[in-house]
Amino acid sequence: MKTDSNAYLTFALGDEKFAIPVDHVQEVVEFGQVTKVPNAPLYMLGIINLRGRVLPLLDTKLKLGLSSTDRTKKSRIMVLDIHTEDDKNIQIGATVDVAREVVEISANEIQEAPEFESLKTAAPITGIVNRQGDITLIMDITRVFSVTEVLELNRSLN
Amino acid sequence: MLSAMDSNQKRFVEDALDLLNELDEGLLQLEANPQASAPLEQVFRTMHTIKGGANMFGFENIGELAHQLETLYDLVRQGNMQVSDGLISITLHAFDKVRDLLQEKDASKIANAESLKDHLKIAVQFLKSVETESVSSASNGSNSAITKDELATFFIRVSPTISMTPDGNHPLVFIIQDLEALGTAKTLCYKREDATVIHWDIFLSTTTAQPEIESYFLFVENECKVEYNKLLACDLFGADEFKQFIDQFETTPVSTEALQAIVKKLAATVENKTAHEEEAESSATGKKKFNDTYIKVSKRKIDDLLNWISELIILQAQLVNATSHINSVEITEVTEQLEMITSRLRDTSLEIGLVPIETLVTKFKRLVRDLSKTLNKKVNFLSEGAETEMDKDVIELMAEPMIHIIRNCIDHGIESPADRKTLGKSEHGTVKLKAFNSSSYVNIIISDDGKGINRESVLKKAIERGLVAADAVLTEEETLNLIFHPGLSTASAVSDVSGRGVGMDVVKQKINDLRGYVSIKSMPGKGTSIHIKLPLSRSIIEGLLVKVEETRYVVPLNVIDRIDRIAYDTLIRDNHVNKTVVVNEETLPVFSLRKKFHNETAAPKTTDIISVTVNGIKKGIAVDRIEGKMQTVMKPLGDVYQHQDFIAGSTILGDGSLALVLDPARLFQLSEN
Repeated sequence: MKTDSNAYLTFALGDEKFAIPVDHVQEVVEFGQVTKVPNAPLYMLGIINLRGRVLPLLDTKLKLGLSSTDRTKKSRIMVLDIHTEDDKNIQIGATVDVAREVVEISANEIQEAPEFESLKTAAPITGIVNRQGDITLIMDITRVFSVTEVLELNRSLN
Repeated sequence: MLSAMDSNQKRFVEDALDLLNELDEGLLQLEANPQASAPLEQVFRTMHTIKGGANMFGFENIGELAHQLETLYDLVRQGNMQVSDGLISITLHAFDKVRDLLQEKDASKIANAESLKDHLKIAVQFLKSVETESVSSASNGSNSAITKDELATFFIRVSPTISMTPDGNHPLVFIIQDLEALGTAKTLCYKREDATVIHWDIFLSTTTAQPEIESYFLFVENECKVEYNKLLACDLFGADEFKQFIDQFETTPVSTEALQAIVKKLAATVENKTAHEEEAESSATGKKKFNDTYIKVSKRKIDDLLNWISELIILQAQLVNATSHINSVEITEVTEQLEMITSRLRDTSLEIGLVPIETLVTKFKRLVRDLSKTLNKKVNFLSEGAETEMDKDVIELMAEPMIHIIRNCIDHGIESPADRKTLGKSEHGTVKLKAFNSSSYVNIIISDDGKGINRESVLKKAIERGLVAADAVLTEEETLNLIFHPGLSTASAVSDVSGRGVGMDVVKQKINDLRGYVSIKSMPGKGTSIHIKLPLSRSIIEGLLVKVEETRYVVPLNVIDRIDRIAYDTLIRDNHVNKTVVVNEETLPVFSLRKKFHNETAAPKTTDIISVTVNGIKKGIAVDRIEGKMQTVMKPLGDVYQHQDFIAGSTILGDGSLALVLDPARLFQLSEN
């Protein structure tokens, strides 16, 4: 999906601040009842009822290999629209600790992502923005929430 | 090298597959009525369309084959050849190959496929043999023309009652252009000195019926007078004499007397004339078909629509809730109206995804034809209710099992013509397909008038294979149901057609997967009838709502035999998930959802055991509590959960929470691994 928009949604996972292109975000909703689907990897939290739509819910931190945090009043679900490699559009919910704001980030502000010590996995980060020490990591959502990867993990589990 | 198809090629393949079905249908009709012109024209036109598309999108090999075969049918049209079994067979087989080829995803593989060459050769050979034949018979010249019963030439005089010019913008001018497009036409226009129209004289040769032609003038009734005159039931433009006749009226109005005279004269000679018709007719019938339009819509769009409508339904329910305390007649009226409209919207939108089972019927006709030829049996195939609609996916999934049933009917059911004769039956056996709706189910009954199922031999075989105890007393129904048991096939010799032992059990399994039912009735000597009952839509599910821990599950009702409540301790003695327990004085392997998925919290004192039959085997599912029966709309869990396939989907309950719909067959597979 080609996008000209420079608008990003920023959110927090633990102490890190992340951003994703706002085009991929349908909406941000509060936590409701989650129905667990048995026999699935831990980071697949279950399914939620989003106004009559059944949406799978992923724990973003567990998916990134971080430890999960307890749900707080500030916890939110980002409803994401992801275009997959095999030309499908899938919708999933992804948890964040705090959903912040939509900001404009121009392309020349984005620096190449360095190696990250704090994120143990090879962090799926496409770039980093430094605004007077306020660091925002731009997340590669197709990689983080890639269905193929989810399926592979899933397969190894079963 | 792999070359993916571009979107035009993809569309061609999609269209071509539809066209091939139409072609099959046409060919079978033509075989049944070799003299009829309608199926012949349809066959010709369909091949022509396939040829055009194939050449345009780079599949010249398909185009060439279609062209060769088209040539053959052109000879038939011209009366130089008769429709024969051989002709129909080579055509069917050739296009079968095309159909197979089009399953290929790689465009270059289709375009370079060698497999069509043989069929091309056969077609060329066939043409040669026909040509030599026709040379020898050309001298008698009495090749009778095919009567085109629908085709007719009209003389239509349109006299405007208001003043207009022939190049004006009045709708009438366009209507006349539309008329001309219905077939071969010649329009003469007579004007006054001020260039306004006195009248148009239109000669039109078309297959469109007069009432339909009249309908073109529906909206200009007050602005013109139209006279219709059906000249002759054939294409008069084929006769040069007629064309010359028209030409002389270029400037003077057509004299009706002269017209009638020439029509009379031509009527006598019309037998000999068939040329020049093809273009007129193909364009005319093409147009006619176009009037009965279907639009192809991608499934995704329909799913989107359904999703939005379910959101609307939920919103509407919220609105009723939110306004319940407001005592206003106006608001109540609006919410009630809204409720009615949303529920109608839901019903209509569910219907959009349904298609008539007609496509299957064509497949079956073909199957019956081919099979009865191979087996030397005489079989008529009747269908009733082909317009019954079903979910497209369901139709696709049911094709295979139904083909299997029909195969069985012909192979095992219908006797040979000789046998039938001695039995006092008609030599022709009958296989009948009947489809109809009942509440939210589609019923399909496939029956034959063959010899029926031999219960003794079924029972004997079942005992031999240890499926039932030797001294077991089974009811008629139970005995017949044994044929759905895996590995039990009643054919004493394994034939090419059926009887490989993978048969009825797979049929049953497929129907179970679709949450349908199947039952069988058989009368020795009279025939067998198999009744399949399927949910109208895959998304509608009837089930038992159960609770385990805090999670709700739905068990599809169609597989449930009985429900028992036992003490949870009975399960607890063994720590295995899939353990045999005694239920209702029988031992039953039981899968405990709690033990497998929710073993964290303290269990209740009792557990409800739901006995189900899956793949012919009785098993139990242990749940905490049964909450009730429900009919609801099932929603898929999405790609992310495709490995949790023992969950068929989910459904939204009245309080907005979700329940998981179980797929019992897959659930038990999970316990076996």
